[in-house]
Amino acid sequence: MVVMRDQVVKALAELEVTGNEDGLIPAFGVLVNQLPTSFWNTFSERIMAEAKQNNKQQEVEDALINCAYECGYHTGWGIINSEEFKSVVSPMVTDGAKDVLRGAYAVFTAWGWAKSGIVQIKEGERMVIRATDYYEQDSGGEGHRAYMIRGVSSAFFELAYSDPYPDGMGKYNCNQTMGIETGDDFGEFVVQAK
Amino acid sequence: MKTKFTFDNNTFRHAMNGHESVLHCHHYMALTSKLAMDFDAMGGTRILKESAEDSVRPLLDDYFTQNSISDAKQRLQIGAEYFGIMGMGVMKISGDDKTGEVKLTHSHVDEGWIKKWGKSSKPVNHFTCGYANAVFAAAYSLPPRSFQSMEVSSIALGDEEAIISVKRS
Repeated sequence: MVVMRDQVVKALAELEVTGNEDGLIPAFGVLVNQLPTSFWNTFSERIMAEAKQNNKQQEVEDALINCAYECGYHTGWGIINSEEFKSVVSPMVTDGAKDVLRGAYAVFTAWGWAKSGIVQIKEGERMVIRATDYYEQDSGGEGHRAYMIRGVSSAFFELAYSDPYPDGMGKYNCNQTMGIETGDDFGEFVVQAK
Repeated sequence: MKTKFTFDNNTFRHAMNGHESVLHCHHYMALTSKLAMDFDAMGGTRILKESAEDSVRPLLDDYFTQNSISDAKQRLQIGAEYFGIMGMGVMKISGDDKTGEVKLTHSHVDEGWIKKWGKSSKPVNHFTCGYANAVFAAAYSLPPRSFQSMEVSSIALGDEEAIISVKRS
């Protein structure tokens, strides 16, 4: 059975996500926060604008992608090994790494990162993701701005096809080829070996 | 405090009391804080504080308006409660329209930083400084940047609790 994204999203989106008595949200092996999307977008937009003034655009862009990349690698590992994932997604996994990836993208969607899915996988070599809605599309600025999706997508692919966790980092990168923020109908992201 | 979480089944976006929100983890917050500190020469931590202040302020203003809350002390308390609901820790807040203090006995930013890298050599909770500025300005119906905050005690440095000093600009 193929992992049914919408079914997973519905199940996970219904989980209560609010601070406990310590004001913290421990889940999926990490501490979760729920902040306004405008915080993340405003920070990216303003730091990139300042970077442009300082001729540090590439450096800051790489750093923004890296924030999501490291987050995606460690949290992605936490997600696919969590009780939540085992109870909701694992029963649908019959197609190995491909299905685990599909499940990871369903969680990605449930967290509100992007309404996204895998449209093509060449196992261990290349993956194409499309997102028809993602909060980074609302960020101001110039050009493609989905830094978070790029970083997380590289990380998820490494979890599926690189050396076992935690030794599989640094093997793939992700480029954004289309973007709603630049006038396209959807965002498109291509992961491939470095 | 009234909190309504919603999930849009068309866009798959979350909202908290009508304001779009998103779930992220301590890795992302810690790395974003570090990014701001690494680029502090071009204003990284100031940008992080101001981004926090400007994104939190509309939530607070709308909540106060929609629930007819005009008492400043009550507004400060709601700011502290919102902080915990967002998963950012336990906040105790006191002060007036000139000066104030924010104490954190638990902190997502600091505890996330320690989980990731261990203790820090300098304070890391720039997000909460901006958050505190938003709460005080909203409580007293003042414009953004009316307050400045500084961490004087930090969980990431090894202190038992974080203390953020807030002063009118």
